[in-house]
Amino acid sequence: MFCGVKGETMDVITAFLLTFPIVFVISLLFDGIDRKIHARMQRRVGPPIIQPFYDFIKLLNKERIVPAMASSQIFTVLPTLAAASSILSSAILFTSVMSGTSFGGDLVVVFYLLAMSSVLVTIGGSSSGNPYGAIGFSRKMTMLIAYEVPLLLSFLSVFLKINSTSYYNAILTQVKVGSMLALAFPSMAVSAVAFLLCIPAAADAVPFDVSEAKTEIIYGPLVEYSGPYLALFKLAKASSNLSLTFLACTLFFYLPALFGDGDSLWLGAFIVCLLLALILWFLTITVPRTVFARMKVGQAFKFYWIVALPLSVIAVVLSALGL
Amino acid sequence: MGIVARSRVKSPWIFHLNTGSCAGCDIEIVAALTPRYDAERLGCVLVGSPRHADVLLVTGPVTRQMLPRFIRVYEQVPEPKVVVAVGTCASSGSPFLGGQMVEGPVDKIVPVDVYVVGCPPRPEAIVKGIVTAVKKRFG
Repeated sequence: MFCGVKGETMDVITAFLLTFPIVFVISLLFDGIDRKIHARMQRRVGPPIIQPFYDFIKLLNKERIVPAMASSQIFTVLPTLAAASSILSSAILFTSVMSGTSFGGDLVVVFYLLAMSSVLVTIGGSSSGNPYGAIGFSRKMTMLIAYEVPLLLSFLSVFLKINSTSYYNAILTQVKVGSMLALAFPSMAVSAVAFLLCIPAAADAVPFDVSEAKTEIIYGPLVEYSGPYLALFKLAKASSNLSLTFLACTLFFYLPALFGDGDSLWLGAFIVCLLLALILWFLTITVPRTVFARMKVGQAFKFYWIVALPLSVIAVVLSALGL
Repeated sequence: MGIVARSRVKSPWIFHLNTGSCAGCDIEIVAALTPRYDAERLGCVLVGSPRHADVLLVTGPVTRQMLPRFIRVYEQVPEPKVVVAVGTCASSGSPFLGGQMVEGPVDKIVPVDVYVVGCPPRPEAIVKGIVTAVKKRFG
């Protein structure tokens, strides 16, 4: 099942288990850095970088409230599932880069897990019995239709380019070419732009946060969640952001490829990719959420179907033509 | 201080409830959250839902119309929670005390941890009130 070039099965399993605490720490840390930079850009001092850890521990130790109107089983199970699926998506990516292994179709699995975590949050909101949760649900579904199509087409263009659905093959292709995928091929450059445009919507960052819109529909799906449930949703969001940015930087901008393929480079490559993911997080999530105001649902939808969708279609066509 | 207590002190999420105030205190609360005073450096975030809150900032003498809604919002805040009465009306009922439509002040209805007096209090005083309340309760 594994199609890696190096790494015993046991090593891969150890690496996989190790990634879970790493994902937990890194995603909350990046979230804290994001909040700090956001504050500095507004000329504020801002919260400490470890603020998300304080929030997480505090929320874990608060009372759990399940509203009388909620369908309690769905309401209580979904936060765990959402956190599990988005942490798993990051863990799969991290394991691939650290141990140099992957299995066929893992990019499809990651895409599915990422979509899954956002869908689960909204289903949780709609099961809460709160009208704001229901509005958030309908808005998030609209946004999913808007950004998942260009995102999927962007994945498809990569599949066509590397002739595989395996994540590690995308990295290997870049190592073989000796350059980043987005710099080596025009189709991949277009695809990378489409992918990066989809990140703010997938992360519910401000210009496209119509489903949460805290001043408008008070966090939409999250409105009735309290205590540990809310903590798990915050963690799910942070790690899905990490997964998206890490995926973007390794699929299209695998920087270590420029320095050749050294055997001892793998942990170094992982750290370089993490730093690159932080830079992409800054560019695609922090900057838009600081600079722009929230769009209306229609405007956000239009943006994705007029700007991002044609770009991703062009990427697929170019990729199919072999460019 | 244990790690849980420390986290609670470092991350007070605020829900703001107006129980019939003239909006003077409310505007000062908003001012306390602006970049100039930057309450977020202490971990304070203004949340829109009482389910997410730790600190209930109450302004205004509690009017008869607000009384059942105030109790409902108070009960919607998950434990452990802190109540800060902001402004002279919320603290003592001041000019409205004994009025036929006034049920307050706040401490007649729910336990209050910190009173921030002033008409309206300055933003610094409100930030200090929040910090004092969480330190007193969790620290």
